[in-house]
Amino acid sequence: MKKWLYEPVRDVDQAPADRLGQFPREPDMIVHGLRSFSALIIRGLLRIYNHFEIVGHENLRTNRSLVMVANHCSHLDTLCLLAALPLAKLHRAFPAAASDYFFQSVPRLWAAEILVNALPFARQARVRQSLSLCRELLANPGTILIIFPEGTRSTTGEVGEFKSGIGALVAGRDVAVAPCFIDGSFRAWPKGKRFPRPRKVRLFVGTPRNYCDRGTDKNDIGAIAAELRDAVNELRPTNGSH
Amino acid sequence: MSPQIALHDPVLRTYFWIVLISLAIAGALLGFVRFVLKKETASMFKTYWSWILIAGIGFIVVFLGRVPTIIGVTMLAIYAFKEFARASGLHRDCWMTGAVYAGIVTVGIASVISNPRGEEPGPGWYGLFVAMTAFAIALILLIPILRNRARGELRHISLAIIGFVYIGWMFGHLGFMANDRNAYGFICYIIFATALTDVAAFAFGKMVGRHPLRSEISPNKTWEGALGALGVAMSLPWLLRFSFPFFGSWQLFLTGLIVGIGGQLGDLSISVIKRDIGTKDMATTIPGHGGILDRIDSLVYAVPLFMHMAGYYYPLR
Repeated sequence: MKKWLYEPVRDVDQAPADRLGQFPREPDMIVHGLRSFSALIIRGLLRIYNHFEIVGHENLRTNRSLVMVANHCSHLDTLCLLAALPLAKLHRAFPAAASDYFFQSVPRLWAAEILVNALPFARQARVRQSLSLCRELLANPGTILIIFPEGTRSTTGEVGEFKSGIGALVAGRDVAVAPCFIDGSFRAWPKGKRFPRPRKVRLFVGTPRNYCDRGTDKNDIGAIAAELRDAVNELRPTNGSH
Repeated sequence: MSPQIALHDPVLRTYFWIVLISLAIAGALLGFVRFVLKKETASMFKTYWSWILIAGIGFIVVFLGRVPTIIGVTMLAIYAFKEFARASGLHRDCWMTGAVYAGIVTVGIASVISNPRGEEPGPGWYGLFVAMTAFAIALILLIPILRNRARGELRHISLAIIGFVYIGWMFGHLGFMANDRNAYGFICYIIFATALTDVAAFAFGKMVGRHPLRSEISPNKTWEGALGALGVAMSLPWLLRFSFPFFGSWQLFLTGLIVGIGGQLGDLSISVIKRDIGTKDMATTIPGHGGILDRIDSLVYAVPLFMHMAGYYYPLR
């Protein structure tokens, strides 16, 4: 009889708190179950409390890898974008979260791992490493990356400049990029407020784009970032406010 | 078992003081080693703080009553299985782990509810509780058939069955004992005795240990430690006879053997599993102890033996 091979998790000798910060994670059924269950509750709450609505749902129907690019003014944004995905794809969706904010304290880490399955993104130092991690993930078909290219929550509700990293990520690669605009999250839960308020929140999903024929030099990735910003901004409803 | 009864129960009260005094003595001894003998004790202190936490949580859960005790035991079993699945790689198979979790939860439910036909004395559905081994194994064997897979499935089936029967069902006996008329005496005794036996094995091994017990399984365990622990375990039933005043000397002797030998065998069987997998501890959940499974390993082995021994001689519920 040949030797039986066990494949223990790599983090078997790490303390639970250290394990939370690990990426890629090795979740088991309990984590998946908790995440799906809390996703259902979050969806229900968004629907009732914020009258959440999704426009352009069909633009997310793909079995290939997808990058969702959106404006960012609130913690609600991530929840809204996740709520637009089918539950089956939830565990393959990774919202990029600032590692200097979300991966510092245990409650935030816990929320980042269990609730949203966040990907630690170093926005200050080692951006390149984080980007190559994103590329590795995208190489598996079916991965969904959620990226806020402004790099932080907007304090005015306007869409800020997009960082060129988003261009570097998608330039010359055959991956779909769906621009998304979240309307109302600024009024519902602005930066600095403790709890969300019952204001209407809407998500607009635009037609996916592809930048596989674009070059990867500095001008090109800057242009892609600017184009994506315009695409997101164009989705803003004309009579709506932010 | 309920908070009102617990407040006036002499057995639980006595155990409260015994545990408090044991922890105080252990703390004083550790302090002596640290400050008078000036030895390195940082890791032992970590283990000691965890013991205090375990004792506190344990007393609160048992104090709260029958259902909280069963829920607590079920949650411990779930977490211990999670550690086992992660250490052995079974966690990648969601179906198998799901079946085992469902089995463990059903064991907990069978311990809480009464027999719907009302043919059993007292709370708890003993028939379903015992039958769960067969039902869970049947469910586990069904999974590869439903998924139409054979490659590598025997490994998953084996891991899932040992995970359910050993960690879920055998440890689940601790929860079922909450239904006994003498629940406080049985539960407090078996937890206290296995814990003390573990500590005794460690202490004797540290002080006079020379000859390795099972060199291929657990290099730190010694014959001296094992025999010292057996001596402690054999004397405990007589010292703590108030836990089960109706036991005769034969039952007290068997209790000593079950805790003294069974407890250490439980420790060694988990060591066999860890050795084969190639990890030192199952996880690092409890500082200074390792994973939950590393802590409850001797209980898992001793509890069902103890419960069925007592059940053979006396009506439990």
